[in-house]
Amino acid sequence: MKKILTIQISALIIVSGSLGGMLIFTDVYEDVHSGIVSVLCLSCLKLEPITKIDFTFETAYGDPHPMFVLENLTHGVIFLHYSEDACLGCDIMYPIIQDLFNITFGKEDMVNEIVNLKGSDIAFFYTNINHASDKMKKSFPIYDKDHISGLPMFAIITLGYDNGIIRPYYTTLYGTLGLDNDKDRSIYLTELIQESIDIYNQNKEGYSPN
Amino acid sequence: MKFQIKRLLSQILIFFSANLGALGLKTGFCYPFFYCNSCPAATSACPLRAIEQSVYKNSLNWRLLLYPILILGFFGVTSGRAICGWGCPIGLLQRGTGKIARKLKKYPSIEKLGQHQIEPYLRYIKYFLLIGVVILTSYLIGFMFTDICPIGVLTGTIPTLILYPGKFVPGYYFLAAIVIFVLFLILIFTIERGWCRYFCPIGAILAPFNKISILHISLAPKEKIDKECLHCNACSNACPMGIDVCNMNRDPECILCGKCINICPKNLIKYER
Repeated sequence: MKKILTIQISALIIVSGSLGGMLIFTDVYEDVHSGIVSVLCLSCLKLEPITKIDFTFETAYGDPHPMFVLENLTHGVIFLHYSEDACLGCDIMYPIIQDLFNITFGKEDMVNEIVNLKGSDIAFFYTNINHASDKMKKSFPIYDKDHISGLPMFAIITLGYDNGIIRPYYTTLYGTLGLDNDKDRSIYLTELIQESIDIYNQNKEGYSPN
Repeated sequence: MKFQIKRLLSQILIFFSANLGALGLKTGFCYPFFYCNSCPAATSACPLRAIEQSVYKNSLNWRLLLYPILILGFFGVTSGRAICGWGCPIGLLQRGTGKIARKLKKYPSIEKLGQHQIEPYLRYIKYFLLIGVVILTSYLIGFMFTDICPIGVLTGTIPTLILYPGKFVPGYYFLAAIVIFVLFLILIFTIERGWCRYFCPIGAILAPFNKISILHISLAPKEKIDKECLHCNACSNACPMGIDVCNMNRDPECILCGKCINICPKNLIKYER
């Protein structure tokens, strides 16, 4: 009787002490909150949003565009790639994006580079939600156009003409784009980015980030 | 009877608590039972998802691995698998389907299913699933249990399709997951608590804690059993987990539902701390 009581008390102290310590001294609560609960892995959902390429001026929840987007739009189109550690869709799209922009980076890296696609500069941002800075994490819901909150997610931001003002104009794609193979995904993205570049070139003269 | 109503209320209350995400409450905790974070109303994370993410493709994130295990461990040390019997929404579902499973038992072929001589060995499947499909395949090849999880289909995929019609199309493992989900339905309608008995990886984490849990179910002393037990076997017949209650001692399968306590005519079984 005494032996089992000792084991019970010891186990309870170890488990609750470790759990309490983890919650107080580590970011695990925040990691689970922002990396699992708030942002879905679309593969876990076993579903993919239907891909719609309609561009819009309005951010997902009406928030202003982040400063890094407004500034980089003076140089060219912006491509935002959001991913996470454990996600089948992210794993499928990760090499496609690397090939598309001829760029190499680690899955856990944060990337902010100017890449080139068919002679045009594109500001490329890669964000792994499980390892990203707060600034990049906060940009995720802004471009979650269809309120999916799922990964992988891609936003292409260009410039559009809106009642006399040149403003950021974007579209968002999710998952594996609803396509069956890598070649089609790559062609689809290339065409969409090319269209964004054309729109950008039509409107860039009138743009000011402020 | 009153006692089982209390348990039902507890299950319903915890089911609603698990879905407070519908009111905007999203936490950074893991559920101490089986529920999917892809449910549109989920408040917390599936512990299996956290474990898989911690070991995905040759990585090892100790914090993310330990966190769900410690949360489950806390409930395990205090009350063993009571959370399966008193809180798990999938347990609540099987409480309903279990009634049908009991009725179907009158068919000999179905009765045999739950009483076959290999049945006790089938209970080890959940440990293989936990180690093999949740941990090893995630670590080695990136194949995750959550990609085909039937509970994910039930609590994530189906509600999403109902709430957002026309917004989604099937993903990569959709068909495989649906097939497994159909098998899951057949299982829980034919064998009472079939999922908990054979397949639940979270039950596999909690089960060993029954051996040391503070709250547990115990039998009266042997002398009293020998003297007073009617050998009516009502306790074992009532047990949804198919345990031989008269001979159990902190059985890892016991979910502390208390049905054996309620039914024993001589009050020889009780909760103990």
